[in-house]
Amino acid sequence: MDAFLASKRQFLDWLRHTAADTETFFPQPLGEASFQFARVRPDSPLRLEDWDSGTPREAFRASANPVPPGKLLSPPGETLFRFRRDPDGRLEFFPVLDDAPRIIAGIRPCDLHAIHLLDGIQSAGVPDPHYLSRRGHTTLIAHDCLQPCDEHCFCDAVGALRQRQGADLFLTPMEDGLLVEVLSEKGAALVEGAGFSPCGDREARLAWAEGQRARPFGRPLPASPEAIAGILAGSGASPVWREHSERCFSCGTCNLVCPTCYCFDVSDDIDLAAPAEGRRCRTWDGCMLPDFAQVAGGHDFRPGTAARQHHRVARKFQYLPRQMATGSHCVGCGRCGHQCTVDIDIYDIVKDLVERAGP
Amino acid sequence: MKPRIAFFDMASCEGCQLALLDCEDIFLDLLELVDIVEFREALSETSPRIDIAFIEGSIHREMDADRLRGIRARSRLLVALGACACNGNVQARSNLYSPAGNLGAVYGPGDRDRVQTDPEWWPLWAHTRVRPLRELVRVDYELRGCPMVKEEFLHLLKRLLLGSLPHTAAHAVCVECKQQGNECVFERGETCMGQITWAGCHAICISHGYRCDGCRGLLPDANLAAHRALMRARGLSEETIEDRYRLFCSHEIDRGRP
Ligand code: SF4
Ligand code: SF4
Repeated sequence: MDAFLASKRQFLDWLRHTAADTETFFPQPLGEASFQFARVRPDSPLRLEDWDSGTPREAFRASANPVPPGKLLSPPGETLFRFRRDPDGRLEFFPVLDDAPRIIAGIRPCDLHAIHLLDGIQSAGVPDPHYLSRRGHTTLIAHDCLQPCDEHCFCDAVGALRQRQGADLFLTPMEDGLLVEVLSEKGAALVEGAGFSPCGDREARLAWAEGQRARPFGRPLPASPEAIAGILAGSGASPVWREHSERCFSCGTCNLVCPTCYCFDVSDDIDLAAPAEGRRCRTWDGCMLPDFAQVAGGHDFRPGTAARQHHRVARKFQYLPRQMATGSHCVGCGRCGHQCTVDIDIYDIVKDLVERAGP
Repeated sequence: MKPRIAFFDMASCEGCQLALLDCEDIFLDLLELVDIVEFREALSETSPRIDIAFIEGSIHREMDADRLRGIRARSRLLVALGACACNGNVQARSNLYSPAGNLGAVYGPGDRDRVQTDPEWWPLWAHTRVRPLRELVRVDYELRGCPMVKEEFLHLLKRLLLGSLPHTAAHAVCVECKQQGNECVFERGETCMGQITWAGCHAICISHGYRCDGCRGLLPDANLAAHRALMRARGLSEETIEDRYRLFCSHEIDRGRP
């Protein structure tokens, strides 16, 4: 497929222009030290500074972004369907599917990898029409990282750094601007008429970028994701779980900021004025939350923070990789470690487990 | 017959009942479905039988405790409305002092002495300690917060009217911070009680640039030891930490809860 060259300025102007027609999201500052994927508006502060080592405040860092871009595909509180009881007592259901076109730009490889893994999960078994409808109407513009975002990153150690599949356009920073690669029909349609210059030396440019990439890239892990899955399988009695969770609050932040967590809870909302009508909604849930594993009668089959931490880590490195036949479902973005107020970092837990398991 | 609901106030600022009147957009719909049989903010009647009693305020005197038991006896369901009724709120801090000490501090030594000798003043002296409702009677549901959250009130009422279980999650404010897309207060170098506080407020204070001070009370399994250590590590003095916890959660701290 085609490749183009654009200056950063040209690309951002084009993105703003596109955002006038299609709801577009791009990383923007949040509060004092964080980022959010926010709607692009005519006066939005869009920056690509992180590609030429701008100040930390300007550089978008995945770990400082509490709501990962993939969450736009399952917003909290979304309506799944409406229902109505007709006068004869029969229930009627009206599915609600979001098919509004959207563009999410500024996605790093870790988050792209996460969306790719979610695509697999949401399509397997009973497919999730709500996720898939949004996903099908969303165009993803991702970009390569030649430097890790910050000290929290370990994407290369879990095999997420080279992710390209799932993106419609893929950007690579060049000395003279951006290499814009078209990876899908959707991407081709989007850049048509953008006025970017055709690029004739894509391979040479990709090789140049590869030469610029930091090595090692982010934090290394002492074992491969496959080996980690094996170690986890026998780790139930390890003291690691207790040691790393004594200070845990079960606040669920690590789940909710995770780009591959997708657990949810559903509830019905009924209108007081019309009690025969209502809607079923779903919202985010997480396995670290104290009431997550509680069942009827109040029994909790995962009481205590240690059991919950074990479950969380095993989901990412053992259960889902085996069930879905994929690599690690932790993409190494560093969010959970950064956003946890007591610095419980899945990287430290896994490293500790591997080191204690011995050679 | 429509379900009869009633509102009562004990020791409180009545802010929760005012928050209730703020539900004006649905109040007319509500009146179609229920009979409001007692409501001092709006009505003067009383009723011998109540389906759902909403009670605001904490219990300070034996006469209030008796009144509460009386309401319980004629109510099918009893709901604690707001932080005072649920966990004693800010006033529970007075439990740290003797009743005489409290009276003296507020009214001076003359009144403090008179209340102990003059039978006319006896009811004031009968103030023992600040208690949330659940210390005295069975409470079926709690609507936490200072003031209570209108959406939670409506949700509970709808569910009870429909005969289904209300959906109240027992988790931390952090969950709602994430749902609101907030930056964590700790990221800007400040401290917050969100990790140990019952959610349900949509993280309203943090969403408006403040922190969580815990008005909805401590979660049953709140890891207070870890939170204290974190507050210390963030440079707060023991005194400031104690003040922060005692502002809304004094009763829970004293009860050894969590
Ligand atoms: S590990 Fe940290 S973020 Fe996760 S539940 Fe525990 S305290 Fe919250
Ligand atoms: S600001 Fe407070 S409530 Fe929000 S995530 Fe941080 S600790 Fe939790």
